[in-house]
Amino acid sequence: MQEQTIQIEQALTNIKKLVDNIEKVIRGKRHQIEFVLTALLAKGHILMEDNPGTGKTVMAKTLAKSIAGENHGEANFKRIQFTPDLLPMDLIGSHIFDDVKKEFVFKKGPLFCNLLLADEINRASPKVQSALLECMAENQITMGETTYPLEKLFFTIATQNPVEMEGTYPLPAAQLDRFFIKIYFGYVDEVTELEIYKDYLGIQNNLTAIPQVLSMQEILFLQQETEKVHMHEEIIAAVRNIVRDTRKHPDIVLGASTRSGITFLKCLKAYALVNGRTYVTEDDLKNITSAVMDHRLIYRNKEGKQKALLQILTKELDRLSKLKITNN
Amino acid sequence: MGIDKVNNYKKVIAQLILLAIPTLIFVFFLLWRVNSFYSILQNDYLKQGLYFGIGAIVAIVFYSYRFRFTTTTVILFALNYFIYKLLGNITTGEFDAFYVSIQFLIFNILFSVGWLVGFGFSRSKYFTIGWSVLMLAVQIVVISKTSDFTVSRLISDIVPVLAYTFYIIYTAELIRNMNENEAKFTWFITKRLSGFAVIILLLFFMIFNLFKGDFKAVEKEWGGSSSAKGPKGQDGGNGDNNGGGESMTQKDKGGAVSNKDQSKLSGSLNKDKQLIFVAKLDNFFDDGRTPNPLYFTSCYYSKFDTATQTFETDINMPYNDLFSPDPSKIPLYFKKTDQSIIKKSLGVKNRKTVTAEIYNVNLSPNVYLAPSNAFYCQPISVPKEYKDQFRSAYSAKMWVSELNSAYFIYNPAGNRELERFQEQRFQKLREVKTIVGPDKAFMDYYTYMPVSEDYNKIKDLAINLTKDKEAPIDKILALRDYFLSKDEFDQPLFQYSDNPGIPGMPSANKLTYFLLENRKGYCAYFAGATLFMLRAIGIPSRVVAGFSVVDRSSKNPGWYWFYQDQAHAWVQVYFPEYGWIDFDTTVPDVNTQQAPQPDGTPPTDMPKTYLVVDGIIESVNEKTKSVTVKTDKLLFHDKDFGTSKPEELTMDVSLATISCDTGEVKIEALKKKMHITAASQAEIFKNILPGIYDNFDSVVTKLPKILPIDEIKILPDVDKQKQKEKKQMAQKEGINWKKVLLGLLFVILFLGMLVLFSPQFIWLWFNSKAKRENKMSAYWRYRASLYYLNQLGYKQEEMGPRQFSEKVDMQFSTNFLAFSNVYQKLKYSTDALSENETRTLNEFYTTFIKQVKSKTGFKTRFKKFFNLNNTIHYFTQPKIN
Repeated sequence: MQEQTIQIEQALTNIKKLVDNIEKVIRGKRHQIEFVLTALLAKGHILMEDNPGTGKTVMAKTLAKSIAGENHGEANFKRIQFTPDLLPMDLIGSHIFDDVKKEFVFKKGPLFCNLLLADEINRASPKVQSALLECMAENQITMGETTYPLEKLFFTIATQNPVEMEGTYPLPAAQLDRFFIKIYFGYVDEVTELEIYKDYLGIQNNLTAIPQVLSMQEILFLQQETEKVHMHEEIIAAVRNIVRDTRKHPDIVLGASTRSGITFLKCLKAYALVNGRTYVTEDDLKNITSAVMDHRLIYRNKEGKQKALLQILTKELDRLSKLKITNN
Repeated sequence: MGIDKVNNYKKVIAQLILLAIPTLIFVFFLLWRVNSFYSILQNDYLKQGLYFGIGAIVAIVFYSYRFRFTTTTVILFALNYFIYKLLGNITTGEFDAFYVSIQFLIFNILFSVGWLVGFGFSRSKYFTIGWSVLMLAVQIVVISKTSDFTVSRLISDIVPVLAYTFYIIYTAELIRNMNENEAKFTWFITKRLSGFAVIILLLFFMIFNLFKGDFKAVEKEWGGSSSAKGPKGQDGGNGDNNGGGESMTQKDKGGAVSNKDQSKLSGSLNKDKQLIFVAKLDNFFDDGRTPNPLYFTSCYYSKFDTATQTFETDINMPYNDLFSPDPSKIPLYFKKTDQSIIKKSLGVKNRKTVTAEIYNVNLSPNVYLAPSNAFYCQPISVPKEYKDQFRSAYSAKMWVSELNSAYFIYNPAGNRELERFQEQRFQKLREVKTIVGPDKAFMDYYTYMPVSEDYNKIKDLAINLTKDKEAPIDKILALRDYFLSKDEFDQPLFQYSDNPGIPGMPSANKLTYFLLENRKGYCAYFAGATLFMLRAIGIPSRVVAGFSVVDRSSKNPGWYWFYQDQAHAWVQVYFPEYGWIDFDTTVPDVNTQQAPQPDGTPPTDMPKTYLVVDGIIESVNEKTKSVTVKTDKLLFHDKDFGTSKPEELTMDVSLATISCDTGEVKIEALKKKMHITAASQAEIFKNILPGIYDNFDSVVTKLPKILPIDEIKILPDVDKQKQKEKKQMAQKEGINWKKVLLGLLFVILFLGMLVLFSPQFIWLWFNSKAKRENKMSAYWRYRASLYYLNQLGYKQEEMGPRQFSEKVDMQFSTNFLAFSNVYQKLKYSTDALSENETRTLNEFYTTFIKQVKSKTGFKTRFKKFFNLNNTIHYFTQPKIN
């Protein structure tokens, strides 16, 4: 037990280091980094939406470089640029005839990696998108009759251009549901942007010289530990309330599912851990709700999109903040 | 000065000017009002207010230093008590010294109250609320003492106290919240206060003007303004209640009639020459020509209430010999008697029965006035030609001692003949060597005297004056002579004065003052002082209120006219076997010698009434002007006849005057089922005489078929009576309702105030919770901090705790974030807190509030705490559309 606590503390410090590490390269994006790590620890995947050039790819790259893979190498990082003509085979891999062995062997595609950057995911055809489904949900690929398991640590960072842009296929709801968290990367503020311009060389250097702060083992350990994060009954009740409220809210056409509620709980725990805590607080709830829930809901109109979830959350936070301290 | 200050000098000055002075003014006002109701206070409100003010001001200044309240107050009280005892001991035996110590006691009490108030203003948060409520309560008590209920009066009473209440709570709050280093606070406060004053004034002015019409209507409806009532007022007694110098007597008549109009007492003391009633007193000396007048009694003051220091009429007094029927309720010519009065009067020697006829001019028809020991009342009809002069009349009989006479009790004032006459009677009374009552209770009751230094002084004086006298009568005379004695400058020792202060029966300390110092007073003073002196030497006595007689017998022997200024109070002394004998010690009024009153023509030559029929109308024939009456009661040649089987009698009413209690009416007013009394003076009955053995039936057979009737009196119907009572009840309820309305107004205002200050109250509550150290303190500290911030306009809204606390920390440079984090951990984690975290929890709160206060101006803070919106916002749950 003692050992474990120490281990956890160690891992938590490392996470902190990791965040700091990434921040050296991705300036002014602390929250986004936290969300990415949350998705990582919750054994989920993350979808980032924004215009090109906001640092999504760099983000994924830095993260991959910071994690030490097996055999002291880097984590296995793959990047796929999704285009309309991309085929599922390009992702999964294909059977190739081996001249020596005189048989077809399976040539693994880029999906067999630790960290996958699916760039501009919504530019690919639905066929390709659905190929991703299985691997993201079940961590395995079925090719013909054989099922190939993916790496133990498989984390997808998908980026997508705003849906309104030309040449995009909107992701189906089922696909969206696979992503635990969807964030908007956004532009940095003016001060940070100036800093970036001033120091772009340094940043580039940083990127190449990123130290490895977390081992794969540690990440897997943390993923395990995430489950153990303490969650107060009232917080669970709050999650339930939020989920149920989304179904009742007049501005929401399609509310959250029970599965998304479970995802929500997982993300809360992971987020608490990312923030160096072993318990979930109101702040976690406040910070993460929008990222976890927003992309699962279908709103009646734009205004609803802006207000509805905030209203639900504010009500729940108010309830929580007035609760007396109870020991459970 | 080695002692730290709690409040800086600016605050002290603000408290003195803004709290103490208005309070002082208000207390002056209140004391003035209270003084006019409680004579014990001796009308010295200026001095009393000053004492109070000194206490308050000294306390405010005193408690601006760090003195402990309990210790200092105990010391103060001990000191005061010591001085009080010292004063009492040093100069014992001297009259002035007694006064000094009494004065000191009053000073002491008021000073202490002022001291407490000063402390409250200086230190206590909640004091002003309690104080305001107290003031409201006192004012309500004062108002309830006012019987003269007019709306404008009510408003003029309530407005100041309400304004004061609002003002004091508001201002105290303002000063308390004032930051010590706040610049220009004076200007700010002045601005605020003047604004406040203007608003309050406008508000009241507006309300008053808006509802002026309503007020007046309401007043009229309730008959609140007694000024509207003329001499004809039905609840009677008010006519004679006016002034008349001896206002005490008015009070007692008020007691006999209704307790209203007491306020009139304090009103005019003008010598009204209004005629109250005329009486024919059939009491002559043995020669049969010289009238022997008697005082007319209204009531007795036999009991002295030490708590209120007032004399009381007591219907439970031993041997109560006061007969007080309501003449208007007795059918005409029928009589009401109470023979037990004779027994209770305890007189057996030299007795005779005297009759009197009282013709009421301005007296209420319900009032029965007669010389002492009356036991008989018979309403009689007023002769036709006097109908416009007299409203009603009754005949009375009493059991009178031959020794009792107004001549006997008059101060002879140098009239030799009178002196000689009196001496004869005194001689007879000298045979009574000691006065022994019929039983111990009687003696105890009528010689009861409260024990206190005041009364001891009276006692000393009485014993001193009567020490060399043996017989009770001589002692009594010695007391009378004391009142008539002259001082060293050959001036009368005692003087009659109509205006020695507050009217009414004087209290004991007033009496000592009168007896020993001032020596000026009206009859009630003389009577009261005499009573205590008599009781002090063991002579049973009581004070009587009523009317003195002025004998103008030259024209019409036996006829007396009673004017308002004849209202009087005197003493009755009990002599064994002789009963109660009037005894008057009031000195003659030298300034206004009673001018002889005009003498009217008495209603003489009253035709004899032979037959009186009392019954219910069966039928009325307006054509033949005849009425059929079912009767079970007859009065024939002054003899009563009654039956269980009512007979029908037919009466000719063509010549009759018909009247009801409101005046003369026509024959059309007679209706079936009415209760009437019909009287006949027809000669036809003169020769029909009832025999000894006649009964009701035989008398009826003797009467002619149609009875000629001269007078019919309609008695108040039972139903009508009930209706009237109901009305009265309704009226009573009306008054209650008014009070309810008043109460409601208070409640509303109070609630309004509560609402206005509720953010403050809630904060105080949160604060007190947060300051406690217990399991829940973290929770309360968190809530209190959030509340405080919220009230100041820093709302959490949709921010999470972290975000919000970061914002707060940025604003106030506090460490709210640290606290908030620990709090979240405490709330949602099962992990134990580290030492550091516990410390954060414990130390955070006070410094945080201090820091926030220092960063927010006191003005903003003060203003923001009246913002109910914020408060409501804090407690409402956010809603989803």
